[in-house]
Amino acid sequence: MIDLTMLAYCIPGLLLVLALIFSGRNKFPANDAVLNTFSIIHAFYLLGLTFVVLFGAKLPVYFMEGRYFAIDRLSLYEILIATIVFCLSAIYARGYIRDLLNIGEIERTNTRLFYGAFNLLFTVIVLSFLANNVALYWIFLELTTLLSALLIIILKARENITASLKYVFIASSAMLFSFIGIIILYALNRDQIADGNLNWDTLLAIAPSLPGTAFGIAFILLFIGFGAKSGLVPFHTWLPIAHSRAPSVVSALLSGVLLNIGIYGILRLNAVATQTSVGDNLKVFLIVAGIISILVPAFCLAARTNSKKFIAFSSIEHMGLLVLGIGLSSPAVLFWVLFHMLGHSLSKTLLFFSAGIFHRQYESNKYFQIKNAFKLQPLASWGLILGSLSVLGVPLFPIFLSKLNILAGLADFSLAGLVIVLLLLFIIASSFGYYLVRAFNSKEDETELKVYNTPKSMKWPIVFIIVILLVLGLYMPGGLADLLNGIVNDLGF
Amino acid sequence: MIDTIIFNDIIHGLFVLILGTAALIITQRSLTSLFNIYAAQSLILAVMAIVLFIEYGTLNLLFIAILTLAVKTIFIPLFLHKVLKRISVKRDLQFMFLSPASSILISAILIFVVYLFFTNIAGDLFADRLILLVGVIGIALALMGMMVIFSRKRVITKTVGYLTMENGVLLFSLFMAEMPFIIEILIVLDLLMIIVLSAVLAFGIDSGMEEFHKKLNRLGIWIED
Repeated sequence: MIDLTMLAYCIPGLLLVLALIFSGRNKFPANDAVLNTFSIIHAFYLLGLTFVVLFGAKLPVYFMEGRYFAIDRLSLYEILIATIVFCLSAIYARGYIRDLLNIGEIERTNTRLFYGAFNLLFTVIVLSFLANNVALYWIFLELTTLLSALLIIILKARENITASLKYVFIASSAMLFSFIGIIILYALNRDQIADGNLNWDTLLAIAPSLPGTAFGIAFILLFIGFGAKSGLVPFHTWLPIAHSRAPSVVSALLSGVLLNIGIYGILRLNAVATQTSVGDNLKVFLIVAGIISILVPAFCLAARTNSKKFIAFSSIEHMGLLVLGIGLSSPAVLFWVLFHMLGHSLSKTLLFFSAGIFHRQYESNKYFQIKNAFKLQPLASWGLILGSLSVLGVPLFPIFLSKLNILAGLADFSLAGLVIVLLLLFIIASSFGYYLVRAFNSKEDETELKVYNTPKSMKWPIVFIIVILLVLGLYMPGGLADLLNGIVNDLGF
Repeated sequence: MIDTIIFNDIIHGLFVLILGTAALIITQRSLTSLFNIYAAQSLILAVMAIVLFIEYGTLNLLFIAILTLAVKTIFIPLFLHKVLKRISVKRDLQFMFLSPASSILISAILIFVVYLFFTNIAGDLFADRLILLVGVIGIALALMGMMVIFSRKRVITKTVGYLTMENGVLLFSLFMAEMPFIIEILIVLDLLMIIVLSAVLAFGIDSGMEEFHKKLNRLGIWIED
């Protein structure tokens, strides 16, 4: 029964794409409502499937003879985050994409392309978490770049094409360095076990016997690619542009799900690295990389005038914080790193969804176009404010807990590092305040703007995320804590 | 099995040819010749895989040679030529940041730096001198490809830069460790998809057709910082 789980995960997405390809231009309904309904069902089906596996199966489960795919608690947790964001995005897309189609920003002929790529991206993301093999994981990671690039160019503006190209070129070139890392890893591996294989579980098992320096080089090469995919400095330059050009629903996916995949790779890799002889050096490397990724956005945020770009820079900061936490690699910190991923994904989805409503209302992402926000779009305004508070880690939000504990871990490691990071976080918090005050404090405008009638499907996801965030900030379900502890345990910390 | 000395000579000769093609790719302005040089470079890699196959007899290497020949020397250059006809641009004259001469100089320095790095830091990674040389040339080729990506203006030239990078990685993998063949196939598929995607995107950016630009700029409201 459990052997079919893999198939169950990929079938709906693949079926849809096949149907879209093989049905002629007109036979298959190009109607966005039908395709969106399919996407929503697809997302909830996978969410249900994930819960069934979570409660029903004895983990970890391996598939195929070479153990190329596996489900363990970490991959299941990541899939859970991804599916939740996908469910919300699929619902949000219903109203959002319909309106974009109605005003002609997306051409009708491209509806099929959008939903095809949307659903296939979902499948590929799930597969990248299920891949137990570094090389397979690399390939799925590349595919996510391609599919999300397609989703960015769905708005046919010249700037979108530039943003998409920048994303493809930076991510793919960095991923080629990762591939060199994989080759080195494979060569090292072959010396240890006959035939060699690149499975995560094998790597974890033979980690202590891997030669230090060579593994360190492989680690840094792999880190380049995974880091570029999760927008770490200095490979972050694609991220603000891609996030601000993409339709808001895609931005939410990019920030809430795709960045996590790179972090997931780094997390797995670090679990191997801590057991090698160069573990301590790589630890420092990750911590420094994390701090640099907090530093750059800290100095970029205050000057931003575009809401979505602003939110995107904040994503870079959070990825830096996650890598910092992974670098600290103590069990307690890792627990909170995993929790932070959930909190960050939900908060960023909330922010981008709200920014999407603002874009429809004011036809601009600039803060100075925002007028009478509370009167015109009360829910989106609260979404933006609560989302910002959540991202900053204000108490009552889940990120408060995770940020506090990651920083506490940093204090154990280095006090100077803590002071620097606190200072940077302070700058980031003031930039957020500066931005929000300017956005919501604009004078009442004489000319009455026409109220954008926000569809219900765009409102409910926002309400839902706010509720979930508040609940998670106050109460951590026992099952979640057990799951996270289990993951930390699985990784061998 | 070939005589070791002859084998080494052949391999070294092929290395020189690869570096020569890389230098041409960095400096070439005509797009048609750029694609032809890329095809030639891939052909050299295929020949190298065949030579290695004759020497070591691993069937994997033969498959890689055939795959490289079919996809990289025939299909991709043909496809790029076809795209070029559609976008009606013949040459890529603009170099950003670097002139052709300084690019060559920098790539020479790159090779040297990579060599120093591998001999001093990663010495234990490479069993013998030949593999060390491959490591150096493979990585240097990848870095040179990266240089093409950021120093050229046209998207289609950047694509060739990416392809060169990939050739560097292929060279590296030929000697370091033969990956399982299925993974090689998947990588080539992935490469194809990237090429098709960036070629389609190149229509939007490189195209000389005015009406295409007008159509793109119609959606003015998304154009803001």
